Amino acid sequence: MSEFHLTEDQQDCLEELINIAMGQASDQLARYLDTFVYLKVPSIESVDAKELMQTLSQQENTMAVVSQGFFGYEGIRGEALLVYQEEDSGRIADLLGYEPDELSQDEQLIDISSILTTTFLNVFARQIDNQMSYNAPKLLPSAKDNLSEHLQQMPFSWDLALKVNINYQVTDYSFNCNMILLIPETAITNIKHVLDRILAEF
Amino acid sequence: MSPSVLICDDSNMARKQVLRSLPEEWKNTVQMATNGAEALTILRDNSIAVLFLDLTMPGIDGIGVLQGIQKLKLDCNVFVISADIQPEMQSKVKVLGAKEFLRKPIKADVLINHLQQHGLL
Repeated sequence: MSEFHLTEDQQDCLEELINIAMGQASDQLARYLDTFVYLKVPSIESVDAKELMQTLSQQENTMAVVSQGFFGYEGIRGEALLVYQEEDSGRIADLLGYEPDELSQDEQLIDISSILTTTFLNVFARQIDNQMSYNAPKLLPSAKDNLSEHLQQMPFSWDLALKVNINYQVTDYSFNCNMILLIPETAITNIKHVLDRILAEF
Repeated sequence: MSPSVLICDDSNMARKQVLRSLPEEWKNTVQMATNGAEALTILRDNSIAVLFLDLTMPGIDGIGVLQGIQKLKLDCNVFVISADIQPEMQSKVKVLGAKEFLRKPIKADVLINHLQQHGLL
């Protein structure tokens, strides 16, 4: 399968780093929404490029995708995709409690995605002694084939997608989204080195 | 004398992180649980003085363990160590009897400091 084969210890270490990053992203989301966000154990899986295309293209007509590029040091870079089901993206307006004329639904979706992505990646980067900068987030047009086109037009060649399944339950509402991190092979190798360095400290 | 200690977290790394932050003389009397159900069994069958507890776990989570401790009327000093840092969660665990809420990743000096504040060191 992918180049990202992790040992059991590396997987456990990565999950804990992601867990901490998720916790802080939820905290930001909770503050933004002024409510409590119920957090489940995030599940993580890695998928290769071909698999991801297949999965995403099957769902293509029923979702909204917000895409945002990130860059750190030492070749760590990638693209974060937040994937929402259509019904969930509709709920976000209710959640945010925006007045109808304040911001369009698209803008709200971009807002919330950017909070989740940047908080998550900032905390993750800090834990591996790195620091991220970001491109502006953009909502992909929902027309068919746009997503696969977008994935093919990345400014770098990505070898692996790390899929973090996030489930947020916000008091009366719940919405699911997947955060998918597209990462080039150099970044994967680098992350593995960092995981080994952290594990060596124990 | 070192107190009986239980560390409960579903992550092996997180358990080790707590373990290595403990005072040297405590390290020989530590038990580990990888989920809430395991923790409750150990708590029921042993007299545990100090519990370090994660919140987000599959099955019985940290909140479930705190509720179990109340139900069983156990006398145990609980320090919650979690990534779920929302203010509402922090106050919730204190209402459920936890001594302190500590953020992940835990640092040795912070942990020792809190143990001292509660007269455990």
